Amino acid sequence: MNKLGIDPIAQDKIKIEVADNGPDMVIRFIGDIDMEDPSIILDPVFEKVHSGMVSKKIPEIVADFKGLNFLNSSGIKAVAKWIMKLAMLPADQKYRIKIAHNKAITWQVTSLPTLTFLVPGAVKIE
Amino acid sequence: MAKPDGYIEIRFGPRWKYISPARIFIQNFIAIAISDQAKADAIAMAASELLENAVKYGASEDTHCIVQAFPETGLITASVTNQATEQGAKEVSGLFKKIMAGDPLEAYIMQMREAATRSDGKSQLGLARIRYETGANLKLEVSPENRVTITIEVR
Repeated sequence: MNKLGIDPIAQDKIKIEVADNGPDMVIRFIGDIDMEDPSIILDPVFEKVHSGMVSKKIPEIVADFKGLNFLNSSGIKAVAKWIMKLAMLPADQKYRIKIAHNKAITWQVTSLPTLTFLVPGAVKIE
Repeated sequence: MAKPDGYIEIRFGPRWKYISPARIFIQNFIAIAISDQAKADAIAMAASELLENAVKYGASEDTHCIVQAFPETGLITASVTNQATEQGAKEVSGLFKKIMAGDPLEAYIMQMREAATRSDGKSQLGLARIRYETGANLKLEVSPENRVTITIEVR
């Protein structure tokens, strides 16, 4: 079990794993997010991740999309919603999100960098 | 416009489960037609977003998609047509106008920020995503009977 106590999820065509990453965390997405309403799966996970990162004062989480074949715009909305939570935090509670992407997957190259513009300084891409 | 060297036409009832196979089919068709995997991926994403909208907001059991390839010029067009309600057709026209105004990246970021605060279950991100990520020319046509067609043209 990881520091945040979040169980892995395998539902529809998507697997989500949250794991410790040294002093930080990593959340991995594997499969496809192309269901009609991905917020049913994604919003509760992001809420748990967000509250855990803040309460445990963990400085950084890697959002690893390398194993994600497709993400529809409703899924992008859920990721954006998570990132926008960072804008509401006071400075001493903020954590960083580092996006890991796969350069061989076209949508990842075009979609994921745009997320860094949502909350300036909060999200980096690698 | 010159005659296409290849085209596919897909017609299906508005069922979500058909979108993923349609996307993969379109992706493979374009990759074979023009030997450009990145373009095939981008257009398949765009067609998938349009099909999602058509299925989500369609008012009847008929979603119609045509993809045409013009290998000599590298042009690909994809059109998705569905029957909308009068209110739905007005909404899509308003959204289209908003998204087509200004810089594509700025419009996309603005829509993402708006989407993050929406509580009605909609994202309204698809068109902004298509415009920014594919660099496509987008066209909207609404018939007097509220049949909505969105066409993308990518070179």
